[in-house]
Amino acid sequence: MEAGNPLLDAYVLGLVGKERPRVCFIPTASGDADHYIVRFYRAFSAASCEPSHVSLFRRDRGAGQVEGDLEAHLLSQDLIYVGGGSVISLLGAWRAHGIDEILRRAWMSGVILCGLSAGSLCWFAEAVTAFHGRPQRVDGLGLLPWSNCVHYDGEPERRVEYRRFVGDGMRGGYAADDCAALHFAGQELKAVVSSRRDRRAYRVEVHEDEVVETPLEARYLGLDEPVLAAA
Amino acid sequence: MSGSRTRTLLALGGGGFSSQPGDPALDDLVLDLTEQPEPRVLFLPTASGDAGHQVASFHSAFGGRPVRREVLSLFRLRDLRVPLRELVLSQDAIYVGGGSLRNLLALWREHDLHELLREAWESGVVLAGLSAGAMCWFEGGVTMSGGRAEAVPGIGMIPGSLSVHRDSEPERLPFYLDQVAVGALPGGWAVDDGAALLVRDLTVARVVASRPGAGAERVGRDGTRVTSAKEQVELLAGVTHAPSDPAVDELRALRELRRGLSAPR
Repeated sequence: MEAGNPLLDAYVLGLVGKERPRVCFIPTASGDADHYIVRFYRAFSAASCEPSHVSLFRRDRGAGQVEGDLEAHLLSQDLIYVGGGSVISLLGAWRAHGIDEILRRAWMSGVILCGLSAGSLCWFAEAVTAFHGRPQRVDGLGLLPWSNCVHYDGEPERRVEYRRFVGDGMRGGYAADDCAALHFAGQELKAVVSSRRDRRAYRVEVHEDEVVETPLEARYLGLDEPVLAAA
Repeated sequence: MSGSRTRTLLALGGGGFSSQPGDPALDDLVLDLTEQPEPRVLFLPTASGDAGHQVASFHSAFGGRPVRREVLSLFRLRDLRVPLRELVLSQDAIYVGGGSLRNLLALWREHDLHELLREAWESGVVLAGLSAGAMCWFEGGVTMSGGRAEAVPGIGMIPGSLSVHRDSEPERLPFYLDQVAVGALPGGWAVDDGAALLVRDLTVARVVASRPGAGAERVGRDGTRVTSAKEQVELLAGVTHAPSDPAVDELRALRELRRGLSAPR
């Protein structure tokens, strides 16, 4: 849902491998902000998929808003896309509605889960959030048994704090730059891809009492610029 | 603020500034209860997911009154200029908006805000709220956020339970009475839009209304039988704080919207 850059959206739709996949957006972390929901329907239009969204705050019956059996709806999706915002609020609201357990079941049954920022942090056992100011540690759903840090290039304080947290006993894990994505199959890292050049991810872990950061090159999803043939 | 002040809570069954046509007399009562000439009022739109229109109507309703306004968004905590605790405890009144009771409580618990609010109440800050923002303080309430009625436990600061929108959402009351009958909720009150319980310390001291005919009933249990008694309602009269001009309010709301509502990341 990057403005003007559909590469990551196209990549994740490609993972489904199906014509018109069912895609559900969960904007909880933003407080179900209207403008965000509109952006989702713009990026995932009915031309390419069957879009819907789940709002935990609004009962108004906006187009596409799911009513009735939330669990059946989520379990019938091909792809669930979780938006960014506050991961603490996200996890609290999900737990209150049992969405955390439903998403775990969806993942186990093969539904592809994806998300950015808070929508990435939430799947890991531990994460660093800086949404509320100073970076702080937070427990996620633990589908992936590592820690996670996002906006690694965009917000330098996160990088410093993430490394400090891992040094102080947070489990090792993965960090990602803006526009870079970690693709896991099961709990295994399968690929690192990006929608812009020169973005990467990092493995961050403790090795012999030292925090080691190993860059993971990302595969740029765009077309390579044409190489000018030498005359 | 001294610790010896009476603890004060105003629980609206619905209505208030965020609804149409609004209840300026109830909004005025909130201000009067603070006993301050220019009270500091903090609005918490948590239950609506910090919906922009709710924030705008807060500014519009209180903008025309002698009030120092502030809004606390748990989705935009980064924008806070002072620490959360300081912000909450330095208010004269805290007004909680309506929306999803379940989400409200979940988010407050994640941020330990319910404990801070209790502390504020104990130190004399006037708490007010409508719908979800009224039920949250009691031992339990009725939420419709899932589409159908469900009983939900609240913070339990005020003994008893509360059901709101008695007149505007008639499907709530029979459900509420059933829940009290089977013991899923303790006894309590069912309140109309435009009516409010004024709770002093732990006791409902007055039932007030800003609309003629709006009221409340006390619901209890006698064995397996539900008892219900109409509460004596006091219709609020004179508006002590200057009424606002709708045209000015609208302009102000527009300005606030343009200025204040940055996009979440």
